Amino acid sequence: MPIGRLSSAEVEARVVRSLKKRHIKEKAFRAVGLSGVVTGLVLVLILFTSILSRGLPAFWQATFELDVYFNPEIIRIDPRPTQTSGESSGDFRERELAWLTQVNMVNWNRLLEDSVIAAAPEAAAMARRDVRRLITSGERFQLREMVAENPSIIGETRRLRLLADANVDVWLRGNIDRSLPDAQQQLSRATRDLADKLFEEGIIKIRFSQALFMNPDSRSSLASAGLAGAFVGSLFMMLIVMFLAVPVGVASAIYLEEFAPKNKLTDLIEVNINNLAAVPSIVFGLLGAAIFINTFNLPMSTPIVGGLVLSLMTLPTVIIATRSALKAVPPSIRQAALGVGASRVQTVFGHVLPLAIPGILTGAILGVAQALGETAPLLLIGMNAFVTNIASTPFEQSAALPVQIYLWQGNELRNFFEARTSAAIIVLLALMISLNAFAIWLRKKFERRW
Amino acid sequence: MSTNKTVRMSANDVRVFYGDKEAIKGVSVDIMENEVIAFIGPSGCGKSTFLRCLNRMNDTIEGCRVEGEITLDGNNIYDSRMDPVLLRARVGMVFQRPNPFPKSIYENVAYGPRIHGLASSKRDLDEIVEVSLSKAGLWDEVKDRLMEPGTGLSGGQQQRLCIARTIAVSPEVILMDEPCSALDPIATATVEELIEELSSQFSIAIVTHSMQQAARVSNRTAYFHLGKLIEVGDTDEVFTKPKNELTEAYITGRFG
Amino acid sequence: MKKDGNVYGNHISQSFNEELAALKSRFLEMGGLVETQVLQAVKALTERDAELANLVRDEDKVVDRYEMKIDDAAIHILARRQPTARDLRLVVSIIKAVSDLERIGDESKKIAKLALQLVEGDKTPNGLTEIRHIGQHVATMLNGALEAFARLDVEKAVEIIKEDKNVDAEYKTASRSLMTYMMEDPRTISECMSVMWVFRALERVGDHACNLAEHIVYMVEGEDVRHTKIDQLNEQLKRLD
Repeated sequence: MPIGRLSSAEVEARVVRSLKKRHIKEKAFRAVGLSGVVTGLVLVLILFTSILSRGLPAFWQATFELDVYFNPEIIRIDPRPTQTSGESSGDFRERELAWLTQVNMVNWNRLLEDSVIAAAPEAAAMARRDVRRLITSGERFQLREMVAENPSIIGETRRLRLLADANVDVWLRGNIDRSLPDAQQQLSRATRDLADKLFEEGIIKIRFSQALFMNPDSRSSLASAGLAGAFVGSLFMMLIVMFLAVPVGVASAIYLEEFAPKNKLTDLIEVNINNLAAVPSIVFGLLGAAIFINTFNLPMSTPIVGGLVLSLMTLPTVIIATRSALKAVPPSIRQAALGVGASRVQTVFGHVLPLAIPGILTGAILGVAQALGETAPLLLIGMNAFVTNIASTPFEQSAALPVQIYLWQGNELRNFFEARTSAAIIVLLALMISLNAFAIWLRKKFERRW
Repeated sequence: MSTNKTVRMSANDVRVFYGDKEAIKGVSVDIMENEVIAFIGPSGCGKSTFLRCLNRMNDTIEGCRVEGEITLDGNNIYDSRMDPVLLRARVGMVFQRPNPFPKSIYENVAYGPRIHGLASSKRDLDEIVEVSLSKAGLWDEVKDRLMEPGTGLSGGQQQRLCIARTIAVSPEVILMDEPCSALDPIATATVEELIEELSSQFSIAIVTHSMQQAARVSNRTAYFHLGKLIEVGDTDEVFTKPKNELTEAYITGRFG
Repeated sequence: MKKDGNVYGNHISQSFNEELAALKSRFLEMGGLVETQVLQAVKALTERDAELANLVRDEDKVVDRYEMKIDDAAIHILARRQPTARDLRLVVSIIKAVSDLERIGDESKKIAKLALQLVEGDKTPNGLTEIRHIGQHVATMLNGALEAFARLDVEKAVEIIKEDKNVDAEYKTASRSLMTYMMEDPRTISECMSVMWVFRALERVGDHACNLAEHIVYMVEGEDVRHTKIDQLNEQLKRLD
């Protein structure tokens, strides 16, 4: 039955005509959408391949395997003092310190030079300086620690793995143009030749770098610069955020969503929480510096301050995520619980919360992950300080992973640190991805259908 | 039919406001012992709102205010001494969509008795669960899978599980808010049959938008229109010779 | 389609089953009562038993009460159960059949009244043999119809529909012979007219029994066989099988 003035056939013809237009629009939209997705994927792929291709080699670095003779001629020290009876511990400590100073004074570099010469006799003819430059300067402390710990090894020979100097690593792995004139090379010709020879003989090998994971940052001995300090610092901050921001955020969200009366005040709070989530992170850094460091006199550059600042920053995210997870629980569940006479608290904790947990966990972990990658606020509370120890409590000065990346990125030995920076990024990303994977796992574990 | 029964709940000039809007305009009706009373009426007539007053489910809605008096066994349920939690244990509710907890069938039924401390031992609880499920006509269907999730049952079974969950607390009155609107006809018939069986032990108030359902299950029918109670009487009477023109127009499908 | 007696049970609603069963059994009770009434009326007439005639007249009140009760129950079912398909046909057929039964009761009452009149006269009226014969015939038809109802037996119902023709023939024959008596002896005309009324009443009982049977066919098969010729009826029912 045609309605209006058009016959059925005309109606069909018009619909067909308009269909063509509609189909074109639909196809165009799909094409745009798809190309957007593809572009995004390609960019991510490029990012990951570039980071992986640059960073992965940094997990391996040039390492010597040398017989080191603990030459008593060079290590001329008194026997390690022992506490005699009747001696006060203060006195003993003083004697021990004097002994340690003595140990410190030993020319450890000579031991290393000698070991190289022992392995490659022609090095004897070279300037000692040129030989010494093969091994990164931090390694002499390894010898010192060994002797300080166990003086009886003096006079013995030990096979040790010693990191080559950063420049040697760069040279051997071709990260510097070998045809550059001597003036532009970091190493003397003799050192370079010797390095090549030792590499050929297998005395220097590219080995998996434990230093990257075990050592803190270093500027004097670039080859032994590692991520351990930054990793531990970030770990502390993450724990602080997890145990501070998550419980506080979840609790406030539950209160606001389930218990708080709906009035002007709670509206105001809600608006402000949303605003807080949009505040640039660097502002939180300023806030942290002003409150935690200036007012509460907490030490600068410490994970405790970093953690507190990041907690503040994460709090709105956690609250918003938790509230939306609570909102997503169907009201029928609440009604069901209230209908059999459950109290408000029983309803919330017995029924609503268990259903919201996957969402809450996801939100919380994503918040933590976001905090983990945050750099700007940390710069303002001095976490960009150069710290060479691994913090054992959150109250000690420490580096943090994202800041470490920033610092390494600025290091002048680009040829070496470009890879190191990417390696640090890989570590950070791996940490983030495992956190996200954990979030997904948790969600799957707690997810229930209703 | 209902004249010689005792009154269980009694509403007296009940008015409900949502903000400034008056949703229920002075409703007075009694709910007798062991009867099924059906509340019918067009959408928005206030029948569900009124039902929710009877166990103070409206308390959870912002801006909802109830005036007038509703008594349960002579005590005003809006009295400050009446704890809504206790009230809801005595006046249970079954909702429009089956809403079992995402827990096992057993846990669904055991939840109410557990929070109210009705069972003193595991065996007590088991018994309550079995009796409740049997009364809900579900025991034979689920006795071998009590630990499976309640949400895995069919729609009709879920609704009967919800009924079992409600009667497990031994309420005096059961409120049902369109309990079959999400069910297919066969499941509906099963639930209706169940309602009829339950009426020997409980007072049941049921809101339904199907007047046929009201005719099938109820002893008395109350017709609501624009927030007012137009007519209440024996279902036979209401469906064969309603007293009010509005009722007649609605049940004969001549509304508006 | 199952044709055992339980086709009206098996509803999920137990009380619906009970209501339908009660409706059916009350209808059959009423049928039994009416059947006895017919037999008793004929007996009262042929055996000139005034007491029995009075009893039949009084029993009509019981029948009327049955009619009202059954109608009420049927309306209750229509209003509250919204019966469909065979349930609907059952209820509608019963509503109609009940009025047929009530009419049969009325006819019996009429016969009983005539019996009382005839008892007063001292002469044995003509046509008593025919009355006994036709009375027996229609009572059997009625009994058959009720049996067919109880067993949902369509074949039996069809037999009864066909049987009505024979009753009509017997009625005509009996009237004609009575006419002969009246012509022979005009003094018996008023008496004979009463007997004629009895013939007429019994013939009506046969018609109502036939109606009952038609309702049964509709009830069981859903086919309306009223106002249908016998051969067409056979056709109609054959199509169903």
